[in-house]
Amino acid sequence: MTVLFLLSVPVLLVGVALALALRSNLARALAALASQAAATALVLFSLLPTLRGGSVLEVVWPWPTPINSIAFRVDALGAFFLAWSLPMTLLGTAYAVGYLRPYFQRGRNGGSHFALLNLVSLSFVLIYSVQNALVFLLAWEIAAVAAWLLVIWDYSNQKIRFAGFNYLVSTHVGLFVLVAAFMLLHSETRSMDFAAFGHFLARPSPLRGTIFLLLGVSFALKSAFFPFHTWLPRAHSAAPAHVSALMSGVIHKAGLFAFLRFTLLMGKPEEWMGWGVLSFGLLSAFFGILYTTTQRDLKRLLGYSSTENVGIAAIGFGIGYLGWAWGIPSLTVCGFAGGLLHILNHALFKCLLFYSAGSVYRATHSVDIERLGGLAKRLPITAALFLVGALAIAALPPLNGFVSEFIVYSALLSGSAPSDQGNVLLIGFAAVLAFVGAVSALSMTRAFGLTFLGNPREPGLHVTEEAPPSMWVPMALHALGVVVFGLAPQLALAAIWPALKLFSAGKELNALASSVAPLGIANPLLAATLVLAGSVAWLLGRGARRGATWGCGYTATSPRMQYTGSSFSDQLARLFRAFLPSARRERLPEEIFPRHASHVSTHHFDPVEHRMFEMLGQAEDLVAHASGRIPEQSRFAFAAGLVALIVIGALVLGGSSP
Amino acid sequence: MLLQFANVAALAIMPIVLAGIIGRVKSLWSGRKGPPILQLAYDLARLAQKRSVYSTTTTPLFRLAPHLFLVTSLGSGFIAPLLGSTPLASFQFDFVWFAYVWAFGRVAIMLAALDAGSSFEGMGAAREAVFSAVLEPAFFLVAGALSFLGGQRTLHEIATLHLRAGGPAVVWVLAVAALLIILQVETSRMPVDDPSTHLELTMVHEVMILDHSGPDLAAIQLGTATKLFVGSSLIATLLNPWAGSTTLLCCLTNLGLCALLAVFVGCVESLLARFKLKAVPQYIAVALACGGVALLATIWRVGAAK
Repeated sequence: MTVLFLLSVPVLLVGVALALALRSNLARALAALASQAAATALVLFSLLPTLRGGSVLEVVWPWPTPINSIAFRVDALGAFFLAWSLPMTLLGTAYAVGYLRPYFQRGRNGGSHFALLNLVSLSFVLIYSVQNALVFLLAWEIAAVAAWLLVIWDYSNQKIRFAGFNYLVSTHVGLFVLVAAFMLLHSETRSMDFAAFGHFLARPSPLRGTIFLLLGVSFALKSAFFPFHTWLPRAHSAAPAHVSALMSGVIHKAGLFAFLRFTLLMGKPEEWMGWGVLSFGLLSAFFGILYTTTQRDLKRLLGYSSTENVGIAAIGFGIGYLGWAWGIPSLTVCGFAGGLLHILNHALFKCLLFYSAGSVYRATHSVDIERLGGLAKRLPITAALFLVGALAIAALPPLNGFVSEFIVYSALLSGSAPSDQGNVLLIGFAAVLAFVGAVSALSMTRAFGLTFLGNPREPGLHVTEEAPPSMWVPMALHALGVVVFGLAPQLALAAIWPALKLFSAGKELNALASSVAPLGIANPLLAATLVLAGSVAWLLGRGARRGATWGCGYTATSPRMQYTGSSFSDQLARLFRAFLPSARRERLPEEIFPRHASHVSTHHFDPVEHRMFEMLGQAEDLVAHASGRIPEQSRFAFAAGLVALIVIGALVLGGSSP
Repeated sequence: MLLQFANVAALAIMPIVLAGIIGRVKSLWSGRKGPPILQLAYDLARLAQKRSVYSTTTTPLFRLAPHLFLVTSLGSGFIAPLLGSTPLASFQFDFVWFAYVWAFGRVAIMLAALDAGSSFEGMGAAREAVFSAVLEPAFFLVAGALSFLGGQRTLHEIATLHLRAGGPAVVWVLAVAALLIILQVETSRMPVDDPSTHLELTMVHEVMILDHSGPDLAAIQLGTATKLFVGSSLIATLLNPWAGSTTLLCCLTNLGLCALLAVFVGCVESLLARFKLKAVPQYIAVALACGGVALLATIWRVGAAK
């Protein structure tokens, strides 16, 4: 079994080589698809026993010193992540074939792109299995650099290069923090093995909290939690749609996986960690969803919604932590179940939404919702699939987003915390989550309604063609997952079951299953009635007359008069203007007969990014100011050099002594 | 069995009766005799016989949305304690499902509004979306507070929490106040929204459904009336001293309280002007504050008990 599992690595590498070597783009794509399909089949087949909740796949390779040995170990957690990450990357690669066809027709070589998609799969196989910190870092880096190169597919555009660079810098800041954490662990354990890390982390020590914080920050950067999200909207709007989808839905889930992996290594957490994770997730969900409401760019909007959704998953994990720290297994199970399921659900509907946005972009060359409109008539398949994703991400029953949020709610509202203050706080958090849900309904109504409904806002916008099957089939498969997990929550639970058993076992799991079981009746019933009512409505409306939209007495309406995205979110943006600052550029008419054309434009910027750049600018000024004086006064330079030498010397001497 | 039958019957009849009572109260205040109590039924029957007119801008979504909305309203009625006692169905944390099913109906109507491509309807949809963003947390605060106070987890159980079940009266009073505001907003009643005005710029719900006609309009009207009944049955159950029992007395009291609530809504509608739109989120924030204080007050109970 382990041989089959590890065989997937050379298979993927062969795919990389073929994708780079072959002559035509179709052959390159087929090579990547075939190798990924083979690797996926190998991995899934070898993991079948693990996915069934049984054994653990384990192998140790001897390796030259200083590494000594590399351990691979796929437990139920890694198997759970692999079980959907690899197939989804495969679907993304299939989507890429259709999405990139216009580029291929212009003679672009797609070999490196497909090779990189293979490397993404490869990094999953490594990240989710390896037990050695060095190899883990290597795989982490493969994923980061591959994602960066995938983002800058349109590298001739300066904006896209900047977005890519921004991502590259952010992800490496995260890497530094991760390296720092691993170095601390290595200095304590003299080992790079996760098992050794686990032994150290399981014991209470002053370093435990520090390492937890370092790891948390690094993984939060990877998964784009607030306030570490600034690279995300830029990267997601710059990348090709399938890359945005894979990054948001699949690649960045590695951050959450690593978080869970170290949670398992760490064992029972302390209470403050639980509150920390919980409030951190809550902040992400709150700010992520607020930022979506004012976006004009459909893909930026979806990017911010990733921040929201990882936040919801972290809320689940935070409750899981609290339950564990308090010794309340029912809370632990509910929290981790909600979080794990939300990760999977988010991967399903976020990929679906990004793919649909890509189909919009391919047809119109725009994702600016202020310019779009009325696309449902031109792109009916895309519109229908986007609608499914939008309803699911707004957590509306009977779709899958509701199931995971229901579990998170049931944990928050269970009232099983040991103190009343704790319970009241958790219920308050549930109210914030309700706010997040309502605002995401607003945001998704806005995104879908303005893009696909009404009339085209810009009559000159050229709409080419509906997505080809290579694009809509992957989309439809994701939509199928969204519907099935919504209608049959038991299946969704079954998917996370083995991974959940790592966190707790016994009767709590059954309690969870029985508390979710009613949804398995309520959701299908609701869906059936909705379908029935819809069909009846369809029959009733057959003989209907067609007319113009009622203009309230005004007959010369134009598509430009439709409600716009900024007017749709204006009231909410005003309510939350403290968090949603906007920049206003205007040139108002001056005289009675103005000579210049006047204009007003507002746009909402990311306040965190704004502040970050501001601070960087200030720091740069400070350094420039200070260093500007050094050449004038040579004794400063001499003194600075001397101090630096002394510090380095002291560190070297201090480090070498036992 | 009899109770379930009564629940279904109430779900079918009471929405129409409540709408009729509100209409009658408003007529009396303005010095008219007013329409019959069952006027809504006649209206619906008339609308159902008509043909719809669809704008050429719209997509199939526009045709489906009103009926989806009706289904969500009726579906929420299955888990609400319509008669103050056992509902047709209930499960743990069904109030979360309840809130999100209502949200589904709202989203359907909002999407249909955007589908018509009219700026008025878009405006109504945006307002509805913002109000619901403030409203949902208020509902969860109230439901969470009541659920924590009684240690119960289903909608009908938390609504049958009485004064005598222990706990400070303030929680109960604030919960009723918050639910009243939620009811007014959700069913687009004064002072949040004016269901009878024809000035498009000031409306919320009514402006979203400008383009619906015939059976579709009937579905929306029935759906809104059903939401009114379901929502007021929740408040009635909270007020009902016999709630939770399966006696005839309990059921009749609940229906009577619902009727009283309709009278109250009618009086508010006759005596109060509509708020300025800017003031509406503040008004809803009162519900939020009520919910928050109710939640904090639950600690008080426990403090006293210890």
